[in-house]
Amino acid sequence: MITALIVDDEPFARQALRRTLEPAADIRILGECGNAIEALGRIHADKPDVVFLDIQMPQITGIEMLGMLDPDTMPHIVFLTAYDEYAVQAFEKNAFDYLLKPVTADRLEQTLRRLRNSLCRQDFSVLPEASRLRQIPCFSQQAVVFIKLDEVEYVESRTTGIYVSDLEGHERMTTLRLNILQQRTALLRCHRQYLVNIDLVHKLRYLESGLAEFVTRRGRAIPISRRLLPEIKERLGIM
Amino acid sequence: MDLHSIATLTVLLLQQMCVYLVVAYALSRTRLFIPLTRASIRWPHRIACYVIFSAFCIMGTMLGLPVVSGNAIANTPAIGAVLGGLLGGPVVGVAVGITGGIHRYSLGGSFGLAAAIDIVMQGLIGGLVHRYLIRRGKTRLLFSPLLAGGLTFLTILIELGIDLALSRPFDEALGIVKLIALPELLANTAGAAVFVKILLDRRDSIEQQSRAFSAKALDIAAHVDGVLREGFDQENSTRVARIIYEQTGVGAVAITDREKILAFIGMGADHHLPGTPITSPQTLHAINCNEVIFADGNEVPYQCSISPHCKLGSSLVIPLVGEGKQVIGTIKLYEPKTRIFSTINRTLGEGIAKLLSSQILDGRYERQKNLLIQSELKLLHAQVNPHFLFNTLNTIIAVTHDDVGKARELLTDLAVFLRKNLKRPTEDVMLSEEIEHITAYLGIQLVRFADRLSVEIDIPEPLLSVRVPAFTLQPLIENAIKHGTSQIISPGHIRISARQEGSVILLEVEDNAGRYDPKPGGGGLGMNIVDRRIKNRHGESFGVTMTCEANVSTRATVRIPLEAAS
Repeated sequence: MITALIVDDEPFARQALRRTLEPAADIRILGECGNAIEALGRIHADKPDVVFLDIQMPQITGIEMLGMLDPDTMPHIVFLTAYDEYAVQAFEKNAFDYLLKPVTADRLEQTLRRLRNSLCRQDFSVLPEASRLRQIPCFSQQAVVFIKLDEVEYVESRTTGIYVSDLEGHERMTTLRLNILQQRTALLRCHRQYLVNIDLVHKLRYLESGLAEFVTRRGRAIPISRRLLPEIKERLGIM
Repeated sequence: MDLHSIATLTVLLLQQMCVYLVVAYALSRTRLFIPLTRASIRWPHRIACYVIFSAFCIMGTMLGLPVVSGNAIANTPAIGAVLGGLLGGPVVGVAVGITGGIHRYSLGGSFGLAAAIDIVMQGLIGGLVHRYLIRRGKTRLLFSPLLAGGLTFLTILIELGIDLALSRPFDEALGIVKLIALPELLANTAGAAVFVKILLDRRDSIEQQSRAFSAKALDIAAHVDGVLREGFDQENSTRVARIIYEQTGVGAVAITDREKILAFIGMGADHHLPGTPITSPQTLHAINCNEVIFADGNEVPYQCSISPHCKLGSSLVIPLVGEGKQVIGTIKLYEPKTRIFSTINRTLGEGIAKLLSSQILDGRYERQKNLLIQSELKLLHAQVNPHFLFNTLNTIIAVTHDDVGKARELLTDLAVFLRKNLKRPTEDVMLSEEIEHITAYLGIQLVRFADRLSVEIDIPEPLLSVRVPAFTLQPLIENAIKHGTSQIISPGHIRISARQEGSVILLEVEDNAGRYDPKPGGGGLGMNIVDRRIKNRHGESFGVTMTCEANVSTRATVRIPLEAAS
């Protein structure tokens, strides 16, 4: 049995796809989402095998949403689009699965056949929007909150999880791991447990025994590890 | 010292005066005198005034008649000095006086010193009167022959007094004064008055000439205005040529492009036929070298290149210059062999050519601009957003399952929308037709975004019949959905309204997304075309303005003049 999630902002489009999927006995539709924010929560909670993902959606496009998913638990993605020459070209070249709306039963059957054979890993790093984050999704019980990158002060990894601190000092938990955030944002890794937004750093303070720390504009001290200090100093032009 | 010799001297001095005035008259026909026709405070004019009146002052002395064995001269330098002061001011007056005085003193005689002082005095008095009149704002009086005569009369009286006071022996001086008093009073007074009259006439004739010239030029400009803007072709050229022919009164007028005659009006029209190729070497030269060619038929020979019997005897060929200094044609003025080509017509011709050149250029630019906008508009019409189209088809497919009636409605809306898009007039339509177009479009969008979009249309009944440029509202509404409500997660709302403010119609499309990006091109191709098309037609104060309160609302306001709309 393959579990699936349908993500599209138009209710009739979701309905159309659901109907086309109905004859396939081995597909179980877990649910439908009208936007990427809902979808992130659903994927996080239900871990579907496959997500039928519309590209044009409000606030966060389908491709942007990919960047917010943990690559290790990433479901298989089948893109949905009405018409998008650029995207379609990019998908064809990288053999991503995509469906043009309206979806025909034959074309969908082809996709399902491929899914049954191998739920292989897809590499979306060639899609620029999927490899650079504009905002970090943070999960709370009721909602997914998006924090814009320039509002992130620092990110801290604790035993209970990864926490994002914003300009006002609010801390929120995200499911994205520290190294994913390091790869997909401009946040600077200054410590095994910390990423810092260098634009919000006020000073670099030297401590005893050759250690140092960043102090943010809000006055929060962020430790710098001994191992990373020379590299950071070089990058910041401090000799 | 009898009456007879006084009478003889008077007549002789008046005769000399005539010679003096003839010189003055002759010079008044030259450009030299132009500065003298204005009471000017500018130094170049004052210097000209000084030079000319000094010359007349010296001439007055030289044309004088020596009396009593050369001790004295019955003469008229007073005119130059008084007028120099009167027209040039105290400084010029005194300068003329000193120059004339030195000259007179160098001639010697027992009256020499007195006469020299007299001339300076006369220049000074003239200058003081000048200053007095200018300060009182009575500039016109400076050119009064009566005043000039009277003033000169007065200064001669003073002169005679000075002569009596300074010259010795007194008896001899008295004798001389008795002899020259009447002749000098008469000749100087009359001379000064006539001199000013000559200046006055000269001024009037200059003014009349330039007035006539300006009137003619303005007349032609007003008549030909805009004709060639519509296109540089035979029909428009003929209209322009006829106007120039009638206004300038030259023998004939022709307009050519680079290859052929476009229009020919006037003498010789029987063989100078529009549509025939250019044969005249002057015209070909003017086109190739971008030069004005003037063949006066005298110094530069002129012969019609078509017929040896042609009555035209002189021609002026002026190139018409278009984009990038390229000659695009010529305008030609002709005079018959029996008439001389006037300078005025020559200058007029060149002015007209400049005027026409800029008109042709303007016209081309305007037409190109219109073409561009038209083709962009066509593109816009034909361009149905493929996303919209396929999503719509997808929606219809889904709806067909449960609600055939709704599917039918959707298909009808789509048909109306496509028909309007594919076959739209490029001119004005009634606002109600525009509403029909957007209603079809919104009918589809409302189904697609079912729970996330609501629309309110508030257009007062009387405004439904006003005329607006076709395809004005739809692009704005498409923008409001595409860049606005479809980008937010909460329900979107679009309000379309119209109102009248005086003679202006305002159409507004407002969404509750507040996602408008004010960077150039942020409004989308459609909105830019709508804006440019309205501005192009009605001017910069009309068009589309965007106001945006981030995350709250974006409003597009279209301003169109009512008079153009109805």
